[in-house]
Amino acid sequence: MTAMTVPAPLTARRAPLPRLMRSELRMMLRRPRTLIGLGLLALVPVVAGIGIAIATDANSDEPMGQGLETLVAGNGLLLPVFALVVSLNMLLPLTGAMLAADALAGETAHGTLRNLLTAPVGRARLLAVKAFGVATVSLLATLLMAVTGTIAGILLLGGEGMLTSSGTQLPFLDGVGRVLLTVVLVTVQVWALAAVALAVSAWTEHPLIVVVVSLGLVIVSGVLSVIPALDWLDPVLITTSWQSVSDVVRDPLPTGSITEGLLRAACYIVIGYSLALSRILTRDG
Amino acid sequence: MNRKRTALAVAAAGTATGVVGLVLIASPAGAGEAPPALPDISAEALVQSVLDADAPAMAGAVELRNDLGLPLPGLPQGKPGEDVARIYADGQGRARLSLDEGGSERTIVHDGSTTWIWNSATRSVQKLEGGPDEERAERMADPATAARDFVALMQKDSTVTVDGTARVADRPAYQLVLTPKPTERTLLREVRIAVDSETRLPLRLDVLANGQAEPALRVGFTEFATGAQDAGLFSFTPPAGAKVTEGERGERPSKQERTDALEGLDLKHVGEGWDTVLTGKLPADALTRQAPENGRGDRGPATGLDLLKQVGKEVSGPFGSGYVVTTKVGTALVTTDGRVALGAVPQQVLVDALGQK
Repeated sequence: MTAMTVPAPLTARRAPLPRLMRSELRMMLRRPRTLIGLGLLALVPVVAGIGIAIATDANSDEPMGQGLETLVAGNGLLLPVFALVVSLNMLLPLTGAMLAADALAGETAHGTLRNLLTAPVGRARLLAVKAFGVATVSLLATLLMAVTGTIAGILLLGGEGMLTSSGTQLPFLDGVGRVLLTVVLVTVQVWALAAVALAVSAWTEHPLIVVVVSLGLVIVSGVLSVIPALDWLDPVLITTSWQSVSDVVRDPLPTGSITEGLLRAACYIVIGYSLALSRILTRDG
Repeated sequence: MNRKRTALAVAAAGTATGVVGLVLIASPAGAGEAPPALPDISAEALVQSVLDADAPAMAGAVELRNDLGLPLPGLPQGKPGEDVARIYADGQGRARLSLDEGGSERTIVHDGSTTWIWNSATRSVQKLEGGPDEERAERMADPATAARDFVALMQKDSTVTVDGTARVADRPAYQLVLTPKPTERTLLREVRIAVDSETRLPLRLDVLANGQAEPALRVGFTEFATGAQDAGLFSFTPPAGAKVTEGERGERPSKQERTDALEGLDLKHVGEGWDTVLTGKLPADALTRQAPENGRGDRGPATGLDLLKQVGKEVSGPFGSGYVVTTKVGTALVTTDGRVALGAVPQQVLVDALGQK
């Protein structure tokens, strides 16, 4: 009998969450800029692979570049890891910020957010749908890069399995596991930046401001992290965990730094989404 | 109005959670925790147990903090909270050490009979028969060895005390403190060694200089766990395509050359204990020769003399004239005619040592 007291009409008027998410995703993937962005990102590992293949053909004995780059030649499975780590410095955060800017500030600029706010969708649910869209497309971007990177790496650079920076040779499947782990770590870091960008996006009606603020955050964090007197600040900077992503090619896997990077990203995600939610809740229709 | 209050609560709660999380990540584990309660032990018994302790099977991560004001050559530069090395040992003489050199990695595997040194920057492997030809960098990276060597060396000229307990790498440890005897003329105030209560292995070495609250140098474990290790860690197969050099280290001078070079340096210890001064003579061309490029492509000043002018202060005295380089824990004096004196002592002690020759 108590079940009858639930206000049935209200639940009926609410659109189901999965359907909202699907339509949001469809809308995002139909935007030309999203598609062009994804396509360009997918090309990054291919271009890097061609560059490295040509460079190593020219002089075979010289050590080239720094860090991961020295290991990529003749070590195809490392190419997607290398491309993802390099893109995490600027291209992927830029993508995350752009998606977050479109999600709320873009809608405000077009005057369409007003409709959404007055629609029979809870505001928390609206934010959840938007966050889902941003997160899924970022994941799609990194996955796409991993796929093109792996294919390009094997075709252009060859190599059996994966040579780790510790000098051990991982079997092919373990190598693919490391690539997937990189995808997860990089995606979570992009989510962290996108969460902050979404908070900015909820507060402004200019998508450009969102992108500028997010990239400003990345650049300022990068500058602060190289000042020795501010070393104590390092553990709270969003970019600190980005540098440790390349730890995935060490063997054995240093779990400590990897978990720390994930936790740091989670903190930023919580901060970003709670600020975004508070703004969405108070916003006038 | 109600909605506004909810929103504020959401924002405050979420931001607070996130910030607290970030602060927790930033604060080192065990900070602010009460020191563990351990049975009392006399300083002599503790020192003896440290010197007698066998290396157990273990895995650990090492941090290195250098607040000397000068980078130490040959040592990786660690930022606070960042591990510079990982160590694995099976307790029977086989060990693996991974040095993180910022972008590249060196792995040293000693499998009982052969030592393999892998350098990811050059993708090369050095194969050495017999025990590891221990370099300072590799020795220093292992806090246990570094601390044990130090205790053995300094016991005589120090007041050794046990100063309570501490938690290092999440393990209860005794704090062994070596303070220089009052007659020692040194810049150092004390050296603190955290000794694991269970294995009696030194877990951390702190060097404190006079008038400094923070250690000038810290080598210590941030993670430490005893227990059997995966046997695969202690074997090494050079990966396909890597350059493998056997025997003597390729680019290094041979042993004979090194001995000759050392004799040419005319190294002498003046004094003993904390105020030991190392004096010597630089090879004739050392100050004017072009500094070699160090692999990573960053070039220092052109010659040794230029470098000295940059970091040192010009001084003169009974020894002639020269440059003195002062750090928080030590002083080095290089005269213009190529004599060198260095030690963890004030400048005057170096001048005296040069005068004794």
